[in-house]
Amino acid sequence: MSSKVTPDSGSDPKGFWSWLVTNKIYQSVFGFLLGTPKRQFFLLAFIPIFWALFANLGPLLKMLDISFYEAYPLSVGKESSYSLAAWSEFFQSRVYYIPFFRTLAFSAALTFSALILTYPVAYFLARHVPQNRQMFFLLIVLIPFWVGEIIRTYAIMILLGNNGAVNIVLKFFGLIEQPIPFMYTSFSLSFGIVYLVSLYMLLPLYSSLEKIPSNMNEAAADLGAGAWRRFWKITLPLSKDGITAGCVLVFLISTGFYATPVILGGPSSTLFSEVIANTFSVAADRWPSGAAFSSIMLITTLTLAAVFLKIMGRGGKGLLK
Amino acid sequence: MTRHTRLIMQMIYWAFVLYLFIPLSLMILMGFKDSNFIGFPIKSLTLDWYVGVIQDMEILSIFGYSFTIAISSTAIALVIGTWAAMLLTKASFKGKVILFALITLPAVVPGIISAISLRIYSQTLGIDPGMMAVILGHAVHSVPFVTLVSMARLNSQPLSHVEAAQDLGADKLVTFFRITLPYLVPALIGAGIFCMLTSFDDFVRSFFLGGYEPTLPVYIFAQLRTGMSPEINAISAVVLLITAVMGLTAERLLRRK
Repeated sequence: MSSKVTPDSGSDPKGFWSWLVTNKIYQSVFGFLLGTPKRQFFLLAFIPIFWALFANLGPLLKMLDISFYEAYPLSVGKESSYSLAAWSEFFQSRVYYIPFFRTLAFSAALTFSALILTYPVAYFLARHVPQNRQMFFLLIVLIPFWVGEIIRTYAIMILLGNNGAVNIVLKFFGLIEQPIPFMYTSFSLSFGIVYLVSLYMLLPLYSSLEKIPSNMNEAAADLGAGAWRRFWKITLPLSKDGITAGCVLVFLISTGFYATPVILGGPSSTLFSEVIANTFSVAADRWPSGAAFSSIMLITTLTLAAVFLKIMGRGGKGLLK
Repeated sequence: MTRHTRLIMQMIYWAFVLYLFIPLSLMILMGFKDSNFIGFPIKSLTLDWYVGVIQDMEILSIFGYSFTIAISSTAIALVIGTWAAMLLTKASFKGKVILFALITLPAVVPGIISAISLRIYSQTLGIDPGMMAVILGHAVHSVPFVTLVSMARLNSQPLSHVEAAQDLGADKLVTFFRITLPYLVPALIGAGIFCMLTSFDDFVRSFFLGGYEPTLPVYIFAQLRTGMSPEINAISAVVLLITAVMGLTAERLLRRK
C-alpha cells in the first residue's frame, strides 16, 4: 500500500511511518518477529511475564528464602545454611507476637470505623447530589488525599498536640485546665490512620451506591416500605460489593503503615511494621528475622482478605473478558 | 427520603469535608507563624518560612531528586503497564487469570512488606540502596495501577478502528502505535500523573530503598524526629499546592470520555 510514498526526513509523523514500514531493516526484523501468531504472542507476552515473575513475585519469594537463612547478609567467606530459627523466634517472645495481633485487631477496628464514617458520606454523594454536580462534590474530598502519608500525619500532629488546635479550643471554652495528652497514644494513631485511609473506603462505596437504580427505591416506597426498611432491604445489600472492596483495601493498607505509627504512636501502641523495620535498622544481621516476620504478616493478611472475599462472595475479575 | 434525612446527610458530608481540611489548613497556617515554636496561639504572621524554602538550595535539590525519581519510575510503569494491559486484553491464552493476579499483586501487598522484600531483593541482585533501587521500587508499585487503567480503556476501544487499520495493510506494531496508543493517551497521562504523585508522596519504599540522599517525604520524616518547625509546614504547604494541581489535572484527563 505504501510503495509509492517517498521516504522523507521523518519530521512529519506520516512521513516517518511510511518511511519506517518501507525500510528494509524494519521489514526484515519485524517481518520475522510478527511472522507467525506464536512469535507475535511472544513479543507481546515476554516483557509482562518477565516483569510479573522478576519484579512482582521475585522479591516476595526471595524474602521467603532469606527467612530460612541462618544469617544474612553473609559475612565474607561464610557459607549460608538453612534454619528455622527466624520463624520460631516470632512465637517465642511477646515483643513480637503481641504487636502482630495488635496490628490485626487494630486494622480490623479501623477498617470498621472508616466504613461507619464514610458510608453516610458516600450515600449522600451518590444518592442526594444531582448527577452533574457529583464530580465537584467528590473532588472536594479527593484533594486532601493526594497529599502524602507524611504530610498528613504531620497535620494530625499539629491538630492533636499539647499546644494543638483541639486543646486550645477546649481550653478557650474553659472545658479543660491542662492540655489532654492525645499524642503518642492509640487514640492519636487510630485518628491518624483513619484520616489517611478513609478515601479508600469512600470511593468503592460511592461507586457501588451510585450504580443502584433509583427506581428500585421508588418501587419499594410505593409498596409501602419505610425509609429504614428500604435501606436494610435494598440499599445495603446492593452496596455489598463496595463494602467488601473498601474493607479489604483499607485493611491491607492500614497493616502496611510504618511512618505513621512511628510518628503518632507510643510505646503501648507499637505496631508490627515497627517490629519488622527494627530488624533492619538496629542490627543489620537480623534480616532473616525481618524476612520471616514479613512473610508471616503477608500470608496472614492475604489469607484474611481472601477469606473475607470468599464469605462476601466476590471474585473481582470484571476487567478480564 | 424526607427533607429531614437529606439535610442530616448534607451536614454529615460537610462535617467530613471539615474533618479532612481542618488539619491541612492548620498546617498551612502554621507555616506563616512568626516564631520557631509550633502551636497556638499565633501572635504575628510572616512570609519568611516560605521565602526560606524557595531560597534553600538543599530543599530545592531534594525536590529535584524526588521529581527525577517520580518521572523515571512513572516512565517505566507506563511502558510495562500498557504492555501488560495489551497482553491481558488482546490475547487469549492459558493462565491469563494467574498472570493478571501476578501483575496486580503489588497493589495488595502491604507497604512495609513491599519495601522490605524489595530491599532484600535489591541486595541479592547487587543493587545498592539509592536512586536506582528507589526508582525500581516505585515502578513495581505503580505498574498495577497503569495496567488496570489501561485495561479499562482498552476494553472500551471500538474494534472497528483496529480492523480498519489492518485492512489498510498496517501490521500489528504500526496499528498499535498509530491507532491503539493514541486512543490510550488520555488515560495514560492521567494514570502517569497519579503514578508521579504516588512516587512523590511515597515514604516507606523510599525510606528502605534509599541511600544517603533523601526524597522529600524521607527528609520531612527525619526533620520531624528532631522536632517540629514552621519550615516543615512551609515545605508541606508547597507540596500540597503542587499535588493538588497535578491531581486535578489527572482527574480531568481520566474522567474524559
